Amino acid sequence: MAQSVIKLQSSLMREYYKYFSKYARGKSPEKKVAWVTAFTPVEILEALGILYYYPESYAAVIAASEREQPLLEKSEQCFLCRDCCSYSCCIEGCLEFDDGPRGTPPKPDILIATNNQCNTLPNWWNILAERYGVPLIVIDYPGETVPRERAYEYVTVQHKDLIAKLEELSGNKLDESVLEQYIENSKESVFRWKKVAEALPKKEIKPTVLFDDISYLITARCNPDTAELYKAVCEEVNALPEADKNLIPLFWLGYPLWYHPERYLSECLDGFRICGSNYITWWSLDYSGKDVYEKLFSAYNYTFLNLSQETRTERLTKLIKASGAVCAVTLHNKSCKCDFVSAKDIGIPQAELEIDMIDRSFLSLEKARKQIDLLKETVCTQ
Amino acid sequence: MKILSLSGFVPEQICDTVRFTGYTGGRSISHYCGYAADYISQVLNDASVDGAVFPKSCDSARIIKSYLGNTDKFVFQLPVPARRDEAAANYFAGEIKAYKEAVEKHYGIEISDITERTEAVNERNKEIKKLYENLEDFSYSDYLRGIHKMLTLPLAEQSLPEPKRASTDGKRVYLVGSFLTSDGILDTLENSGLNVVGDNLPESGRLVSAAPCKIDGNIYKNISESILSARLSPTQNNFGEILERDIAEIREKKVGGVIFLTQKYCEPYDYLYSVYEKRLRAEGIRSLKISLSNSDDYKKSELAIEAFSDMI
Repeated sequence: MAQSVIKLQSSLMREYYKYFSKYARGKSPEKKVAWVTAFTPVEILEALGILYYYPESYAAVIAASEREQPLLEKSEQCFLCRDCCSYSCCIEGCLEFDDGPRGTPPKPDILIATNNQCNTLPNWWNILAERYGVPLIVIDYPGETVPRERAYEYVTVQHKDLIAKLEELSGNKLDESVLEQYIENSKESVFRWKKVAEALPKKEIKPTVLFDDISYLITARCNPDTAELYKAVCEEVNALPEADKNLIPLFWLGYPLWYHPERYLSECLDGFRICGSNYITWWSLDYSGKDVYEKLFSAYNYTFLNLSQETRTERLTKLIKASGAVCAVTLHNKSCKCDFVSAKDIGIPQAELEIDMIDRSFLSLEKARKQIDLLKETVCTQ
Repeated sequence: MKILSLSGFVPEQICDTVRFTGYTGGRSISHYCGYAADYISQVLNDASVDGAVFPKSCDSARIIKSYLGNTDKFVFQLPVPARRDEAAANYFAGEIKAYKEAVEKHYGIEISDITERTEAVNERNKEIKKLYENLEDFSYSDYLRGIHKMLTLPLAEQSLPEPKRASTDGKRVYLVGSFLTSDGILDTLENSGLNVVGDNLPESGRLVSAAPCKIDGNIYKNISESILSARLSPTQNNFGEILERDIAEIREKKVGGVIFLTQKYCEPYDYLYSVYEKRLRAEGIRSLKISLSNSDDYKKSELAIEAFSDMI
């Protein structure tokens, strides 16, 4: 079974990276290329035969390859403030150097940004648009700020507009039944991923596996192989021993630390086991609806970071309860202003750490260790 | 009724609000815009403020409601469209109407003077525009402080006295940034021999660029179209258009230098600066970026401004 997981992972990765400059050997894709943010309705792009790449994910790969520091410095020299999202600083450096661990992604013909996770990404995409001189489409998702009916009308107009523009770019006509199929594929990927994630509180799983494996749900959720992969991963994780109940169950609230070999502060967590994480649920999109437009609306308008504080608190509380966590490490992430505040009313003791998910120089390990020790003391004396 | 408003996107045609012009607050949130943090502080701590209206336009504004969730005061987040097409105008019109209804419900009042207020806003903006078109003749500090004072008053009491005349031998500079609460910086500019001849601040250059709001037809749509017609904020996601319009004005006004004022952790302006600087360099125009920590921070910028004045 392990072979099957590795084979599927390799195949999905080969497919995604084949046109990156390190592997393409000068060959450009025949299809049109879009650079997209992590919560873009990529089912539409798949259905129209457009290739798409995620600069955010590639920044994570760069940090995992320990290559982020010179790139962050380079972007700062190019007047991009280091206070900005490190995903963007890292990629700007990569594009300035025209180099990265897998080279650079193929140049975009179009840029598509959404504001359903934050308002920073559309700003970043603006500087990409200036760099490449290609069209930028920003899809505006109101989230829970406005009533569903009004939001649906506004978002659907934008989805239809996106389709029209991409039809023009690609020269292909959208077949709604094909789009429906890609949505079904995404639904299946989400369903299978949820099964994998459900094992975290129960089994002896390193969260590293989940932090890394969710990348396929981000970059290849419409690909049927992703669901196959998660089926295989699910079998693997369910065969693992039961979680050690003597360890303190802890919720990891925030991003994985991409630069860390294990993606979390394993060196500070002796005596704890990570039994839950909100990050691994972010792409568990809900594609419910009567037709393709409503399905896309439900999935992309109501992403976690686009929900009201009340709903986020409710969801997090439910998630934490299901995980059995008695405390949390909450990451106050320099690069993501919208996330940490989600944890303001979760009702369990927290250690709030100042971190950045890309820039390793941002973390004071000594301070983090002290905060986590204090958390342990709090939990043990309760 | 005293609603504190944070942004130029808040439609003044609906009801009186008091524009946030700075507060020495106790709230400090790491990696978070000091301007927004000070706004939160004032809403929570100032007993005379009974409401808050703010946009969903940047990451800091996006989560203001999370901090204001437990207050009994009126709280309304206005979703500003990230686009400017017909769909966006309709959507924004709907949200402006929802804002009006929320005010009516919370305060138990009926708002029936939108048309009259719209005419008054049009007239007032026309007056500011006249001054803006002759900006180089006036003391910029006097001009901008006059606007700030005016925006804290009810619409019926707003009038803008003619600013003091400026000395004409100052070095011509252009100001870029968000609402300038740290207005002490204006004295520093003038004391350093700089004469601001244009800006794209929301309370000045952007405000006067909005098309007058039409009276006939759907008033909410008219207000929406008028607000969206103004020169863009970087939160509206069209840096290309901002650059084109600003550079055209900078060229026309023969500006010698651009001062770019940002709040620390204000990402829209930080991203904009990275492309703005390149464009200015290509035009052979020097720029100075000043990053302010909160809504009343200006003293640390004195040396930088003096040095910049010497350079240009």
